[in-house]
Amino acid sequence: MASLAAAAPVAASLSVFPDTIILDGPGARQSIVVQQSPAKDAPATDVTTSAALSAGPEIRIDGTSLVALAPGSSSLTISVGSESLTIPVEIRNAPSPRPVSFRLDVEPAFMRAGCNSGSCHGAGRGQDGFRLSLFGYDPAGDYFRLTQEYVGRRLDLASPAQSLLLEKATAAVTHTGGECFKPDSPLYRSIFNWIAAGAPDDPPDSPAVTGIRMLPPQLTLKASASSPPSHRTIVMADYSDGSVRDVTSLALFLSNNDGTASISKEGTVTASASGGAWVFGRFDKFTAGAEIIVLPESNAFTWPDAVTPLNFIDDAVFSRLRQLQIPPSLPASDAAFLRRARLDLTGLPPSPDELAAFSTDPNPDKRSALVSRLLDSPEFTDLWTMKWAEILQIRANNNNNLESGRPRRAAHKYYLWLKAQIAANRPFNEIVHDLVRADGSNLSNPAANFYTTAFGNPRKPMERAEDTAQLFLGTRIQCAQCHNHPFDRWTMDDYYGFSAFFSGVSQKRGAAPTEVFIFAQPDRHSAEHPVDGRKVEPRFLGGPEPSLENRDPRLLLADWLTSPDNKPFARTLANRAWAHCFGRGIIEPVDDGRISNPPSNEALLAALGDRLIQSGFNIRALLKDITSSRTYQLSSSTVPANAADDRCFSHAFVRRLQAEVLADSIAAVTEVPAAFSGQPAGTRATGIFDGGADRDYFLKTFGASRRETVCACEVRTEPTLTQALHLINGSTTDSALLRSPVLNRLIETSTPNEEAITALFRRALSREPTGYELSRFMDRARSLDPANPKAARNFLSDVFWALLNSTEFTFNH
Amino acid sequence: MHSPQSCQGYRNARLLQRRSLLQIGALSAAGLSLADFFRLSARADQKHYQSREGKAKSVIHITLGGGMSAQESWDPKPEAPLEYRGPLGVVKTALPGVVFSESLASMAKVADKITVVRSLSGREADHGRASYTMFTGYRMSPALKHPSIGSVVSHEFGPRNNLPAYVSVPDSREFAGTGYLSAKYAAFGVGSDPEGNRFKVRDLSLPEGIDTARLDARKDMRSAVEDHFRSLETNADALGAMDEFYQQAYTLISAPEAREAFNLSAESPASIDRYGKSTAGMRLLLARRLVAAGVRFVTVSYDGWDHHSGIADSIKKQLPPLDKALAALISDLDEQGLLDSTLVLVTSEFGRTPKINSSAGRDHFARVFSTMLAGGGITKGHIFGSTDATASEPDLNPVTVEDVMTTVYHQLGIVADKELMAPGNRPIEIIDGGRLIRDIIA
Repeated sequence: MASLAAAAPVAASLSVFPDTIILDGPGARQSIVVQQSPAKDAPATDVTTSAALSAGPEIRIDGTSLVALAPGSSSLTISVGSESLTIPVEIRNAPSPRPVSFRLDVEPAFMRAGCNSGSCHGAGRGQDGFRLSLFGYDPAGDYFRLTQEYVGRRLDLASPAQSLLLEKATAAVTHTGGECFKPDSPLYRSIFNWIAAGAPDDPPDSPAVTGIRMLPPQLTLKASASSPPSHRTIVMADYSDGSVRDVTSLALFLSNNDGTASISKEGTVTASASGGAWVFGRFDKFTAGAEIIVLPESNAFTWPDAVTPLNFIDDAVFSRLRQLQIPPSLPASDAAFLRRARLDLTGLPPSPDELAAFSTDPNPDKRSALVSRLLDSPEFTDLWTMKWAEILQIRANNNNNLESGRPRRAAHKYYLWLKAQIAANRPFNEIVHDLVRADGSNLSNPAANFYTTAFGNPRKPMERAEDTAQLFLGTRIQCAQCHNHPFDRWTMDDYYGFSAFFSGVSQKRGAAPTEVFIFAQPDRHSAEHPVDGRKVEPRFLGGPEPSLENRDPRLLLADWLTSPDNKPFARTLANRAWAHCFGRGIIEPVDDGRISNPPSNEALLAALGDRLIQSGFNIRALLKDITSSRTYQLSSSTVPANAADDRCFSHAFVRRLQAEVLADSIAAVTEVPAAFSGQPAGTRATGIFDGGADRDYFLKTFGASRRETVCACEVRTEPTLTQALHLINGSTTDSALLRSPVLNRLIETSTPNEEAITALFRRALSREPTGYELSRFMDRARSLDPANPKAARNFLSDVFWALLNSTEFTFNH
Repeated sequence: MHSPQSCQGYRNARLLQRRSLLQIGALSAAGLSLADFFRLSARADQKHYQSREGKAKSVIHITLGGGMSAQESWDPKPEAPLEYRGPLGVVKTALPGVVFSESLASMAKVADKITVVRSLSGREADHGRASYTMFTGYRMSPALKHPSIGSVVSHEFGPRNNLPAYVSVPDSREFAGTGYLSAKYAAFGVGSDPEGNRFKVRDLSLPEGIDTARLDARKDMRSAVEDHFRSLETNADALGAMDEFYQQAYTLISAPEAREAFNLSAESPASIDRYGKSTAGMRLLLARRLVAAGVRFVTVSYDGWDHHSGIADSIKKQLPPLDKALAALISDLDEQGLLDSTLVLVTSEFGRTPKINSSAGRDHFARVFSTMLAGGGITKGHIFGSTDATASEPDLNPVTVEDVMTTVYHQLGIVADKELMAPGNRPIEIIDGGRLIRDIIA
């Protein structure tokens, strides 16, 4: 193969995919895609149908495909206009025609026609009495059900066309699922031929798919409203016997961004708008992607001079923006930056004094200095502790009944432990190591609460594995409990191998009524595979099977998981930090990374992960890098050419403040602390150890996390009518305005209205009012009734109300 | 992302074909920007129908979470062997020869005003997936979240009489969301449960000491700040939705008759007794007040029907309060002349297995189950469709959830085949492939 690949397949502007062709014996078929492009990264054109193809006598050209006629070494020459190139073609000496195979021919036909999808016969109980394993994860079971579950019913070996299987699929007899393919289709022929051959099972050593590839792996197109460009793709499968096969006609296709590039069921990409997208092909248990870049139709792309890189983050972000020809917004003002960073890193808006000092500070490095100061503040510790307490589900289920949930005392100790780690800036990998391997008393070793839930209803090993993967590896493996993950790499073997680490985790009561001991049963370290009942030993997710040597498997897991060599761990932590600062992850959702949900900027995520590792898992250092970058400091005001960008960070994204931050912000600007039931006076919402969503109306209404799952999605920030009503009429705003010392001071000092309005703008919105705003506000001030002694305070209270109810206040931007 | 394919084939391929047929006219001559063009071209190949109010002006959708047994409610099988029919008896209805399960004694008396569909055939036997289908008419997909019927109604018709178009009692459900539509079409959850006399929707009235003149001043100054912010921040759906909710809130606050719709304490003791002072009774009474005042779509959740064990006792405890409340609702609407313009729909998630299991319960069963519709132009005194002797298979006239939804949309004046725009300029039918059930339309 190496010698074949050495032949350069790229002419001046012509490329062909695949660039070497190996045909698995006479009769084998391979489609090709020919592409023309003036330079690397320049938009490509699919010229396959206009290309002239010629090949040696061992090959027949059939449209845009080659069909092998005889074994041997041959070549294919492709000519487009004056250009041409030649690629090698090897035809193996294999029996012809290849014997029919259940796994290679029939199962892929079921998948392609959708027969084994979850909405049809792939459902857990099948459909209308016939079940196939979902996406073909259990070929042996499928073979059994077809041939032996009702002998003679589904297949008619004597008269294959009369088989119920084929009659149903072609809707020749009533079929709830309608017609899945036609009698003259290749899918029909594959199944027909297999039945005609006696419906044989495959020999035990039959080849299995080891991976698939999508070609071309990367594609740049140029948007065109008058004729949206399209481009073919090809899916190649590699088999364990070294053969390769063109499976384009059997693959399923999807796009992660239809608005930019969609893909047809034949695998043809059509670009509809500028931006980045990924298209994917699925075959067997594999998914492979190709990145599609669609350049804007207009050539007006220019980069603003003011946007210069400040650190490695900008290098990665800007290079992606240039590649997609999306211009960035301009840098944000000092005031906008101060407010944004303050809210992101401390959960509080800046005070008026801080605003004044920052605006007039001549230090050119003042933004970086500010960020350092904020990261060292106790408010940052509270905020970051809350963030992790949400997904570690630090909540108290009751006061002291172990049976039905975690007692308050244990939850409080768990919270204080986490907070102490974050306050001390302990390397985050060590914190996670403590959690994953925790055992002993949940009171003396609070990290053991990672494994405490309801005593009477402990989490199953499988659920613990799912939680661990989602929290620390940013991936959801749930699907693979019952079938191979349809859109990711995880198989059932991966799932049960990872679950096996938690098989021995057990709990028993301690001496204190609220005490639980977590311990490992050394003899229990395997999980049972549900398909064949086999014992699965612990295996790292996407990694090797460790040798246990009588150790608690969780110790090995903790070592592997938090090691600097485990890139997904660092990338997941880095992505969570990034999402915190931008309102959107590089992988979004942050805990749902999949092959079919790739990062919007791979180089950026890789750089952040590496940086976190180099810093010794120092989260503060990483947040400092992020918030010191130019990217973070860009304005949220868009320009026309970047207004549609929602994933490449060309501008700051506006996002509603999370419930706790909004509650604390109202308290801070009005100087009226909120009271939360069951918490010591002066507790801010971000500091409620067990989360307040269950008890506090404000926090519940604004979507605070209930801490019931590890999902980051529990924090909700979408607006509702209930939220608007509460800010307009509710006790939170009303009692803060009635009691606000800020308003009292302005009244006591008889501050002129214009000055008072300006002071309240600075306090709530961290800026001066515009002339327009001031005149609108002063119009109202002039119509006050001088005879009413309360009029002045009422007016300022109304001013404050208007500011607290503005989206500028309730959003970070 | 494309939804995973179904046996019915690929809708996306069809869409692409339709797009390629698009004739691109004098784009620049019309003075359109490229963005305008994309918006318009997306529109041009969208199946579009103007929605006009139909026979049903409002809907009360009662959802019975957990999956209520049809055998123990609308479709008893008194002739079947004991292990199929279960221990409960039956009651004669106002319709000759038709019986309901014994716990529907009050509904039996108003059977001449309602339609029971006994041949609804589903495909989902999982709580989450089934209730998603019941709210949206679609099967759950990893790629796209579909809007619930209430959000679609809100999208098509908007608010009426200053009331939110879509209200959830007591609160909004996970799958009753806005899907790919803007958050501004979300249900307004009334919050607390309207049981007893304590019920009050929070924050509907101005706080003490604030009169409408001050509210006007507040609104005016707030709008000045909004004007400035919106001139800078052009691109956030969340901002638009927030603004929409402020406008809705202002109208709700300023219209006393709208607020009165939520005031359950204005109901007479007699009417409270009629519905029953139960959770079901108070929720349905509030729903009646809301539709009478002009709310277009009210979702009432009444959960707890997942009877894997001891089904007979559970039904005997749980169904009578609903029976009483539902019969009161039907008669009450009828007496007030509102039944013809209010469609009452009772759905569950799925049915339950034909045979009683070893814990004297029934498990999930999607193959066939029942649903009830009344008012809004639906036939009166009609049992539509049937199941076989053991309620294992639909017998006469099997219909799907899509068919029922299409029919409800039809009565509302919405063509269910209409396409709404999902992100990425993707037109999606309100319901994909549902058939109108003409036989249940009066």
